[in-house]
Amino acid sequence: MQEKIAEEEMVTPGEVLGKGSEVKAGRGAYIAPYNNTVYASLTGRRCIVPSSPESPDQRPTVEVIGHKAHGPVPEPGCVVIARVTKVMARMASADIMCVGSKAVREKFSGIIRQQDVRATEIDKVDMHTSFRPGDIVKASVLSLGDARAYYLSTAQNELGVVSAESMAGGTMVPISWTEMQCPLTGQIEQRKVAKVGA
Amino acid sequence: MAAKAGASPATYSPSPTTYKKNRPPIFTDVDWVRPDGRDFHQCRPAFLRTGAVNAASGSAYAEFGNTKVMVSIFGPRESKKAMIYSDIGRLNCNASDNKEISSQLHKSLEGAIMLDTFPKTTVDVFALVLESGGCDLPVVISCASLALADAGIMMYDLVAAVSVSCLGKNLVIDPVSEEENYQDGGLMITCLPSRNEVTQLTITGEWSTPKIHEAMELCLDACSKLGKIMRSCLKESSSTSQE
Repeated sequence: MQEKIAEEEMVTPGEVLGKGSEVKAGRGAYIAPYNNTVYASLTGRRCIVPSSPESPDQRPTVEVIGHKAHGPVPEPGCVVIARVTKVMARMASADIMCVGSKAVREKFSGIIRQQDVRATEIDKVDMHTSFRPGDIVKASVLSLGDARAYYLSTAQNELGVVSAESMAGGTMVPISWTEMQCPLTGQIEQRKVAKVGA
Repeated sequence: MAAKAGASPATYSPSPTTYKKNRPPIFTDVDWVRPDGRDFHQCRPAFLRTGAVNAASGSAYAEFGNTKVMVSIFGPRESKKAMIYSDIGRLNCNASDNKEISSQLHKSLEGAIMLDTFPKTTVDVFALVLESGGCDLPVVISCASLALADAGIMMYDLVAAVSVSCLGKNLVIDPVSEEENYQDGGLMITCLPSRNEVTQLTITGEWSTPKIHEAMELCLDACSKLGKIMRSCLKESSSTSQE
């Protein structure tokens, strides 16, 4: 585990953090090629991460830890929690509400395509037996997508519907990876359910 | 200037007699006296605060004499106006529907922000001039860059802006509205103080080359001083917010 030593001094964008020959630029810092100097790009505390002993480059990495945690932005590879808004024949639209464990300030639009719902038999997926509008799903971001929406995927065991309401209005209990049951009426509805826990 | 059919082709060039300015130049041998008693090369005291607007990701309030400006930043967030996919971020500036200030603000800020750190999303900058006491655009630009730093948007450096007015033979820095109305020419520089790079240079009116050089030196010096004031304001407000 690398020890991060956060200093007391605040730095602002454009302040010199060190020379490029002595430190590497981490998150919140950048290196200017023309004079080989590392500058800060955020307001926050400077923090030096020593290099791992096996790496050939022994320079420590300097980072800036932002003082204000501004809203997260979905990035390819991260797991998000989204609420399904529309279900169509070949895709479902969802509003991304959380990235990782942090809630976003304003929602982002995402799309789950038919081929990204599950890993097996992807051409036989029926969107209406996988999601319904209002379901809360855990998905991973495949890519930045197109201008309108991020591309999401639920093609793993731990991804899929986490919480859903039945037609009667009760919060359903998962039975298997394809079915959920309503506690009020006992009715079974089909969803692509996420495997939660061990 | 549409030409009537059959008339000679229409041309428009100001005739020598109408080219002369209507008002007589007042300042040929008299020195201008500044209404607020400052020296020619003295800027107004700057009052800067960040975190004025809670609902926004970042915000700043600036008061330079009688010019009071508030800027709030929203983002990076999704924009409905985005028709095309772009793999770098977008900057959208709005100065209460004043197209000129909005486009100048956009030009000064886009050189300083690292747009590729927030692909596909948009950062919205909303500037509101609460009171206009002269030198509005430079104050809006400096305030906007403070607000961006407060919002945590990654930037190459802060942006400091200063303008200078030429009144006859005098150069006055940080003009008030009365001085701007009487000016023969105006010069505004926005620069990144610690990297010594200029993102925008705007020159209007009548200038002679030595005067331009002098004005640019004045502005760059004032920008670096303003940059120091902006940094100390940021450090102070972020250390008080952490306690």
